[in-house]
Amino acid sequence: MPGFLVDFSNELAEAVARAGRSVISVPEGGREGVSGTIWREGIAITAEHTIRGLDEVEVILPSGEKSKAAVAGRDHGTDIAVLKVAGAGVAATLADEGQARVGEIVLSIGRRRDEGLAATHGLISAIGGPWRTGQGARIDRWLRLDLNPFPGFSGGPVVNARGEVIGMATSGPRRSAATIPVSTVNRVVDQLLQRGRIARGYFGVGIQPVAFPEGTARELGIGSERGLLVVMVEPGGPAAHAGVLLGDIVVRVDGAELQGPQSLQGALDSDKIGQTVPVDLVRGGKLTSVSLVVGERPVR
Amino acid sequence: MSAATAVNPEASSGISIGYSVSSMAEWLRRITVCLRGPRGSRGSGVVWRDGLIVTNAHVAVGKGHTVVFSDGTSVQGRLAARDPAVDLAALAIDATGLPVASVRGARSLRPGEVVLAVGNPWDGEGAVSAGIVHRAAGQGAVIFADIRLAPGNSGGPLADAEGNVVGVNSAIFQGLGCAVSSETVMEFLRQAGLLEAA
Repeated sequence: MPGFLVDFSNELAEAVARAGRSVISVPEGGREGVSGTIWREGIAITAEHTIRGLDEVEVILPSGEKSKAAVAGRDHGTDIAVLKVAGAGVAATLADEGQARVGEIVLSIGRRRDEGLAATHGLISAIGGPWRTGQGARIDRWLRLDLNPFPGFSGGPVVNARGEVIGMATSGPRRSAATIPVSTVNRVVDQLLQRGRIARGYFGVGIQPVAFPEGTARELGIGSERGLLVVMVEPGGPAAHAGVLLGDIVVRVDGAELQGPQSLQGALDSDKIGQTVPVDLVRGGKLTSVSLVVGERPVR
Repeated sequence: MSAATAVNPEASSGISIGYSVSSMAEWLRRITVCLRGPRGSRGSGVVWRDGLIVTNAHVAVGKGHTVVFSDGTSVQGRLAARDPAVDLAALAIDATGLPVASVRGARSLRPGEVVLAVGNPWDGEGAVSAGIVHRAAGQGAVIFADIRLAPGNSGGPLADAEGNVVGVNSAIFQGLGCAVSSETVMEFLRQAGLLEAA
């Protein structure tokens, strides 16, 4: 009768094999090729940063077959690109990432051009709330992994010990592995399939962070010592319609105090488009408020 | 090379993962030796069969290696074969009745399978590390494993979850452990005429 270690070993190997039925190789991605995950029937995802500028990529399917896949949409912010892969294999079994626990064993799985499936193992080392990427996109959950990224792991799935996908793996800072959780991938894939891109909110202003003189913030009853000076108002844009003027200092948007330009990002999520948000600003030394209808950032 | 027979009786009575790993480690330590080179170098080796130690070519540099067993006893090893192309060497020793490695072919390894390494890095004799197979060895001579190796692991065994030796740890590449496959070791021994003598 085999021992626990043998059972454990078989479980992990089976998890890799099971999840591997949905893992493809994208040889043109990155420097040495990257991976992709068949997310839904006929739809795969990969790491957007690795296939920038490509409208079509070659993929190696789980069967070993080579195929061409059209890039159906891409989102720089979440690093997700959607590929059309007809007849590619089995769609991944998706886990509810909300059930993930710290300490759970996870595997990062990739497919390499010539060598087939590859995996590294580790743990979920911390779980946190929503966060924003360097590009300002909202990621619904922070899943920190204690796991060695390997060449070509980007775009492949991060799976639990049952082989269920908890997210897409991509490169994080300092040679770490970041996870884009299932809920975020679903949201982005839905939007990319509908519109080919992710809509972002738009104010139509140019801003510059400024600090108020000592005591001013207190006198005006503002929580933050800083504001965003409006240095450009796009003619006909949402801010212009709302009556925002050059030289206004924005201090609060939708009730949230601004700490810097990043604080605006929450008001620019795609679900805010078309909504009216109150914008508090300092004009001529007095606090005033306008109502702004969030627009959609034009495609450039 | 017969595959997958548990060689360690304690493997079947494991009551937890931790216990399983430690009893497996205990067994693997008995088939792992520390090799002390003439110029103070230190590496590892596997008791492949009675009277024969397999290690890396880059460990068996120079003449006169001292073979230290896990119980602290030692003998002198004589270089029987060495091939830098596959990074393997064999040392003959005058010692019999030793616990010897049970060998499994690396080609049957699946990515995700648990592997253990035992070796002698600078900060620990008989040090154990655990990980998983990174990718199938296929027809290749090298096993890639997601396991933390250190320089003194060179020449020591990489074993599966049942304690069967699947390769000889030889290098670290892009953070992954690399081991010469057991098939390659067997071919090396065959070519050196060291297999028939078994």
